[in-house]
Amino acid sequence: MFHLKKSLAFLLVMMMLALTACSGSSDTTGEPSGDSGKDSSKDSEDSVVTLRMSWWGSQSRHDQTKQIIDLFEKENPNIKIEPSFTGFDGYFDKMAAEAAGNNLPDIMQQNFGEYLNQYADKDLLEDLTPFVENGTINMDGVSDTVMQSGTQGGKLLGIPTGTNSLVAFYNQDMFDEAGVSAPADDWTWDDYAKASEEIAAATGKFGARLMEPKNLIEYFLRTQGYKMFNEDGTGLGYDDDQLLVDYFNMNKELVEKKAVPAYDVIQQIKGVEDELIARGDAAIDFRWSNQATAVTATIPDANIQMQVLPGPGNDKGMYLKPAMLWSIPKSSEHKEEAAKFINFFINNIEVYKIAGSDRGVPLKQEIRDELAPNLTETDKKVFDYITKVTENSSPIDDNYPAAASEVLDRLATIDEQVIYGQLSPEEGAKQFRQEAESILGN
Amino acid sequence: MEIEKNRQVETEEVISNKPAQIRILRPKKKNKDFQNGVGYLFVSPFIIGFFAFTIFPMLFSLYLSFTDYEMGGTATWVGLDNYIRMFTNDPLYLDALNVTFFYAGVAVPFRLVFSLLVALALNKVVEMVGFYRTMLYLPSVVGGSIAISIMWRQLFGNDGALNSLLAAVGLPTHSWLGDPNTAIWTLILLYGWQFGSSMLIFLAGLRNIPKMYYEASSIDGAGRLKQFFSITLPMLTPVILFNLIMQVINGFMAFTPSFVVTNGGPMNSTMLYVLYMYQRAFRYFDMGYASAMAWVMLVIIAIFTAIIFKSSPHWVHYESEK
Repeated sequence: MFHLKKSLAFLLVMMMLALTACSGSSDTTGEPSGDSGKDSSKDSEDSVVTLRMSWWGSQSRHDQTKQIIDLFEKENPNIKIEPSFTGFDGYFDKMAAEAAGNNLPDIMQQNFGEYLNQYADKDLLEDLTPFVENGTINMDGVSDTVMQSGTQGGKLLGIPTGTNSLVAFYNQDMFDEAGVSAPADDWTWDDYAKASEEIAAATGKFGARLMEPKNLIEYFLRTQGYKMFNEDGTGLGYDDDQLLVDYFNMNKELVEKKAVPAYDVIQQIKGVEDELIARGDAAIDFRWSNQATAVTATIPDANIQMQVLPGPGNDKGMYLKPAMLWSIPKSSEHKEEAAKFINFFINNIEVYKIAGSDRGVPLKQEIRDELAPNLTETDKKVFDYITKVTENSSPIDDNYPAAASEVLDRLATIDEQVIYGQLSPEEGAKQFRQEAESILGN
Repeated sequence: MEIEKNRQVETEEVISNKPAQIRILRPKKKNKDFQNGVGYLFVSPFIIGFFAFTIFPMLFSLYLSFTDYEMGGTATWVGLDNYIRMFTNDPLYLDALNVTFFYAGVAVPFRLVFSLLVALALNKVVEMVGFYRTMLYLPSVVGGSIAISIMWRQLFGNDGALNSLLAAVGLPTHSWLGDPNTAIWTLILLYGWQFGSSMLIFLAGLRNIPKMYYEASSIDGAGRLKQFFSITLPMLTPVILFNLIMQVINGFMAFTPSFVVTNGGPMNSTMLYVLYMYQRAFRYFDMGYASAMAWVMLVIIAIFTAIIFKSSPHWVHYESEK
């Protein structure tokens, strides 16, 4: 008995040792594992701080961002940045796993809407207001409406990287081939459907890509004066299911006429460079304006143009959005340094010379002006487009509930079921309301 | 046993003797303690790992399954709510359960039959056995990996190898992964294709069947088929039992293929249980609910394993029982 106690005590001591060893190492996760030489000089003035930084994006963005990091490290020899990046697919899965392990990166690319709200709701992000107030992050000259988009519940949780907007990319060559005139500022959904059909018939390719419900149903509702979610986020923002039925019907018809592809084609697409428009397989695609570079990367010779989305009511439907946000998680141990990097990203002209409009059009007018003479052809179009949308748009809806991500996933599944013919548009609209209310009511 | 006995003697001595003599005995005892201590030291990595990474997380997840814990939030006790919600208020859960039963129900027998056939064929091969075994085992070595799943996605994609092949011989192509009716079958095929480990176990079992049975039966005039059903299969039943249990557990816990190849789509037709659990936990931050799902899966697997064990006396034959 006595013996057993002793060995148990021994075991406990061993476990304690192991546990303290574990927690000890987690205290220093900020340091790279192979950097033991620098670890020892941790307390000295010139110690090196390592920040982990995560983003999603296309290959062109990965290359650009690594260049920007190099530049920053050269200016700040005491800060080292460890990048980690993926495509958008899987990015938030990965972040969620890191959040569960209390191991979010020090600098995190965050998305407006359901994601920011989800992270805000779980209180995982640091309020950046003090950093802006003490000048670590210089936001002078950035309009309040832009700053508002990174704010949740009075806390500044994300610094916008740039301005973004939905855009109708179209391939002028394919329009010409089919003898269809290019979309005008006041084009309608009928114009869109007609152009898609005619181009598909004439070229043997697709007129347009099947619309992505998560963004485009919201736009469709906005053009008619409704919102996706109601003010307090407890239900849907529209009462008449016919609105959604109309949306489903329009897409279903186009699929049946083979003017747009069904989900069997869409499912194969992995990333922006793989999109139909980027391969010259579709003439129209509604995407985000910062994707212009990626869309044109694989077919540099094609004449890709940009137009506002179809109306009527597109001035009500269109909105400016922060392309993405930089956030600092609460769990970060190097918030000061992380803020310094964000400041560098927002204010250093070199950053935008490298990145162009890939993370949106720069927030500050002075940077835009300075960049203007040396822009690439594509970036010039994006800058002009954003200026045009700025004059013809309405404020963004920031009433997304924390469960929006699940609701939008259901919406995507129901859209699939309608296109596959498993549900009629009427049934789909009804079922979506049921499921959304059940999720939001919980 | 012997150590135990020794100790008893020692203790008795300690009790019966005077203090002065105890002192003499002490070094001996210390030595024993030291020996045991070393033993514990050497097993401690396993024991610590077992407690820290298996027992503790399991108990913690059991606790979480009775709470509404969402990542970053606080855990509030909700009793059986999560378990009730699964079966009454979550149609997606029932879909996932359905898909998983279908998947395991078809894929497990498929893999077992296939691996047995390959093992039988390999058992006959005389030359270059090592080469064939390696080649056939390879898919399983890399099987759980993302790389294979990505390859599978390419093979069955619209412009993939399979469709190119079909087109080349003039057959109609098909959107294998895009059609909700066929997507699950590509995953079942992938599962069957990774037959290596169960095949090796079958092969070992086949090697263990004494040749003399076959010789005796062929003298009695038994044909190949008769030999297979009367000798090979009965002699192999213990191995079949083992493989069956391992594969049933495996089949219910499949995750990577549905996550990488189809990501649950189209229309949730390949939404396997563990993938849905993962989505609940890491996409919707619904940790409490996901923990409850994990425990239900544990119970389901336990029930299936128990049924297989209970039924085994009726169909498993051990030579030693004769």
